[in-house]
Amino acid sequence: MKHTLKYFFSFCLVLSISLAKAQDTTPKDELTKQPTPKTDGVLPESPESFKNVDLTAKTKDSIVPVPVKTDRYGVRVGVDLYKLTRALYDKDYKGIEFVGDYRLTKKYYLAAELGNENKTTDDNRLNSTAKGSYLKAGFDYNAYQNWLNMENIISVGLRYGFSTFSQQLNSYKIYNANPYFGEVPPIPSGQKFNGLTASWIEVVAGVKAKVFNNVFVGFSLQLKRLVSNKEPDNFENLYIPGFNRTYDGDFGVGFNYTVTYFVPIYKKKVKPVIVSKKSDKKK
Amino acid sequence: MRKIYLLVLALALFFSSCEKDDICDANTATTPRLVIQFYDFANPSVLKNVTNLKVVGAGMTDGIIFNGTETTSGNTISIPLKTNDVTTSYTFTLNSGNSNPALVNVDNIKFDYTKNDIFVSRACGFKTIFMLNPTNPYTHTIAADKWIKYISVEKSNIENENETHIKIFF
Repeated sequence: MKHTLKYFFSFCLVLSISLAKAQDTTPKDELTKQPTPKTDGVLPESPESFKNVDLTAKTKDSIVPVPVKTDRYGVRVGVDLYKLTRALYDKDYKGIEFVGDYRLTKKYYLAAELGNENKTTDDNRLNSTAKGSYLKAGFDYNAYQNWLNMENIISVGLRYGFSTFSQQLNSYKIYNANPYFGEVPPIPSGQKFNGLTASWIEVVAGVKAKVFNNVFVGFSLQLKRLVSNKEPDNFENLYIPGFNRTYDGDFGVGFNYTVTYFVPIYKKKVKPVIVSKKSDKKK
Repeated sequence: MRKIYLLVLALALFFSSCEKDDICDANTATTPRLVIQFYDFANPSVLKNVTNLKVVGAGMTDGIIFNGTETTSGNTISIPLKTNDVTTSYTFTLNSGNSNPALVNVDNIKFDYTKNDIFVSRACGFKTIFMLNPTNPYTHTIAADKWIKYISVEKSNIENENETHIKIFF
């Protein structure tokens, strides 16, 4: 229940950000409108000669920002702070995740995550530890229309994840519906299951905001579905590094909070506005 | 906006449905009991009802509860085996609580077995299945007078409760 709430609230957070985005578009419209009321205000006062001057100024304004606006392309690398700091308050967890992406086109990014986790899961009847590494690779699509020279990202993406790990059954309880002889205490086991693998597909919704210079802060929410899962004999993969807790079905959820550094490699001029309008229509 | 609310609702439902595997479903097949049926010794193919049978585990004071009472007058009983031991002893008392002490008859049966812990699920943990010792599955001892005439092992693998493991003829 605790985890469900956590994911629910983090999802609400994502929603609140997307609302903020919706609000952003209105000032953008106001801004484009702003120059016109000014000239309108000037018009009645000034005779025709002034009007001519205004017109040229106006065209100059519209020409000047176009060549200035460039998109920066490069590699963004960083780390998941959520996993890193979780070890401070959760003694059953140790983990690290490195994240990276490379900007392919204006909207598409190649993205990957590489991580290692060591998690002890304490259920009512089972206590087990999962250890292992994982790699996730895929792409992100930036659905956010940046204006001026902003570089924020609100993205949806797909990943294919692969994990290789081991599980250790620390202790277990026997379920006995008829405890005539009393409840038996947990039985220590220590049995280890090596060479386990799992792979999955995940849908990622994320936000990245440039806080200063080339430093970005962001978080993402992931919904996962198992593709393959090599289960041990007489046990089950209760936790898969990278995939997180397994539920009855094949579904999983995940969350990360990243701090990333953008390494610019080259710049590309933004094509005339007409092109972006077309792409807007396509959406 | 309405779409977003729908999405939140769908997601909330999605996660709430995930919680069900935290509770072990009562219908899940977990640790099985030993199923014993009583037959007529004179007519071995016919089931015979016991009268006020009380079954008490060794070292226990209370009998096993059958349908709310400690005695049964049916022809089938299910008794648990110890999951943390390889032997379980029971006393089978016929005509338990009868005012005439001459009718009260106590037999003792000790079951010997090996056990194996099988993973069930996250919520249920493990279950134990048993295999009665092939050479010496039970030891039948009597106090004074025996009422159980013959014991037959039908299934030495005790994996579920859908079948009869032991037949007792009296």
